[in-house]
Amino acid sequence: MRILARFWKALGSMNLTILLCLLLAADVVWGYAAIRWRTALFIPLNDLGLFAWMQTYGRHNLTYTGWFFALLVLLALLALNTASCTLERVRHVLAARSSLSVVRLAVKLGPHVMHAAVLVILLGYLASYLYTEVVVGTVLLPGRSYTLPGDAGVITFVEFRHEVYQGSRLKVFQGEVIRPEAAMMLSAKGRQREAILGFNQPVRLNGYSIHLSDFAPKKPGGMRLNKRIDLHIRKDPGVVLYLTGIGMFCLGLGLYMLDWRMYREVRQ
Amino acid sequence: MRGVSVRSTAEILLVGIVLLVFLLSGCRQEASQDSDKEDRSGGEARPAFLQIGEFAVHRISANRTEVRDGAGRTLILIPRGAPVPDDCDPRHVVRTPVKRVAAYGYFDVAALRMLGVLDEVLVGVTVPEKEWARCSADVARGMREGRTAYLGDASSIDFERLKQMEPDLVLTWDPSSLPLLDDLHIPAVITSTPQATCLSARMRYVQFLAPFFGREKEADAYFARIDAALRDIRARTAGAGEQPKVMWGDIYEKRVMVEPGNAWVGELVGLAQSSYQFEDVFGTSCIEISVERFLYSGETADIFFTYRSRESGASSKEAIARLNPLIKDIAPLRSGRVFAPQPCYIQSMDKLDEILTEISAIIHPDLYPGYMLKYFDELPDRDTAHDKDTRS
Repeated sequence: MRILARFWKALGSMNLTILLCLLLAADVVWGYAAIRWRTALFIPLNDLGLFAWMQTYGRHNLTYTGWFFALLVLLALLALNTASCTLERVRHVLAARSSLSVVRLAVKLGPHVMHAAVLVILLGYLASYLYTEVVVGTVLLPGRSYTLPGDAGVITFVEFRHEVYQGSRLKVFQGEVIRPEAAMMLSAKGRQREAILGFNQPVRLNGYSIHLSDFAPKKPGGMRLNKRIDLHIRKDPGVVLYLTGIGMFCLGLGLYMLDWRMYREVRQ
Repeated sequence: MRGVSVRSTAEILLVGIVLLVFLLSGCRQEASQDSDKEDRSGGEARPAFLQIGEFAVHRISANRTEVRDGAGRTLILIPRGAPVPDDCDPRHVVRTPVKRVAAYGYFDVAALRMLGVLDEVLVGVTVPEKEWARCSADVARGMREGRTAYLGDASSIDFERLKQMEPDLVLTWDPSSLPLLDDLHIPAVITSTPQATCLSARMRYVQFLAPFFGREKEADAYFARIDAALRDIRARTAGAGEQPKVMWGDIYEKRVMVEPGNAWVGELVGLAQSSYQFEDVFGTSCIEISVERFLYSGETADIFFTYRSRESGASSKEAIARLNPLIKDIAPLRSGRVFAPQPCYIQSMDKLDEILTEISAIIHPDLYPGYMLKYFDELPDRDTAHDKDTRS
């Protein structure tokens, strides 16, 4: 038990944090080069899921993907290091709570809330890569519909609207669609609503987010391509976690700044 | 205290490294176990997983192979007669070996030829017979004999005709055909990719199609042939003193399209001891860049490969300059060399080894004495009288 306690305490060491950060930096340099040389290896990670990717692309190309496995181990160690360090310090703060006002106690917990937020964000990404349900390669033509997995809803591509570049400064873009927008009809549980789908403007239906990944034609009256939109559909349980993490981080940062403003200035 | 902390850190790090080694060795162990499961039919071991650019082949069992096409869709190949597993979407199941195929692109038709199945399986194309007659006699013969139908232009396919031909599979670059093919219950493979095909993927593409037809041996033989050609190019050009600068693209109505550095031509040029002027451009094949970038690269280029053929107006340097006055001052048009594809180039991707060798011979003519061009034409400075007559 004492060994375990010692191990847990050592896990929260600042030296370990610094070492892990240095190793992470070295690892991502390897990762940068690997992604640059073999981009196609990492594209499926977005839709296959972590385990399926590791069993296929990952383990068959270790020269280029080894850094990712190392990254997972290093991040796991960093998460344990952060958890150990944070819990230890929170324990000390709580032990001294009787001598602190509620506000003082809250602001003292600020940095630890930020650390906990980082862990929640990391957990969110892990959940995303492990449990996201993804549908790739869905193509819709005007007037056509797609039923989401498990009959979660029906999306219908009503019409393609677009904004064409009409300026004169960028000649290469003249007549090109610069803002594609697809009018969609979303139906679920007997209710219908209209929504506009565009780049960086996904629509949501029953837990699924529907993203525009490509469209045609890029230039009205150009190459004779049929009107179509390509969709990337996902149901990502990690989003809630990393949004929560971001919220927690903002709260922690606010408390930390309050601490700095209210108490440290007084001390100085 | 500090000493204890450093020692503890070392312990933790040791645990981390042990974990990492364990994880990686676990992967290696699984991989080796997996290799035991490799398909040894025909006496040759096959990798359980093969990545080919953005395509992939994953042999899960003797009765199930999953392939990932250019659009990232997963298709499940199940041998004829074997039961379809419950977890398979019927729209994505392809029964193998495939017996009837409709192909949209020249490259897909060439791939069928590489696998030795073209005469047996090709039932539909999107280019009329007269276009095939000159360079693809096998396709033209199939069309004459009624085995292969013209399905209409790729952008306006006659789906009634397609249905009549009863294909088991459609090879297409056009994602907009997918909803209509789904309605007809015809599985389709998207054979184009968002990023340009690299040299390795270009060489191995046939290995992606092979499991559809049970022609893995033919695909491996084709790959070995191309690989041998590449080795020869590397060996021949290794000692080349001069490194010519090459550009590949063209201008169409003020839009500049080039082959990016990640495309197979860009990689080949680099491999043949020369310098590709758009090496830093990354993206899709025939990518659009600015006129200024094209002109800047053109200032120092020695060799220019244009997309246009003689038939589409690239009959001489003078003709190209006339078509695109913007580029009339680039170095290859003034003092360098310019090459245009011959009509058979686009239909001859089954002879990739010859094409690669020809590009290498163009770049280093001194290393290939007496080489006769088969897939490209070197453009003269001015039009011949015949060209002028043809144009008028």
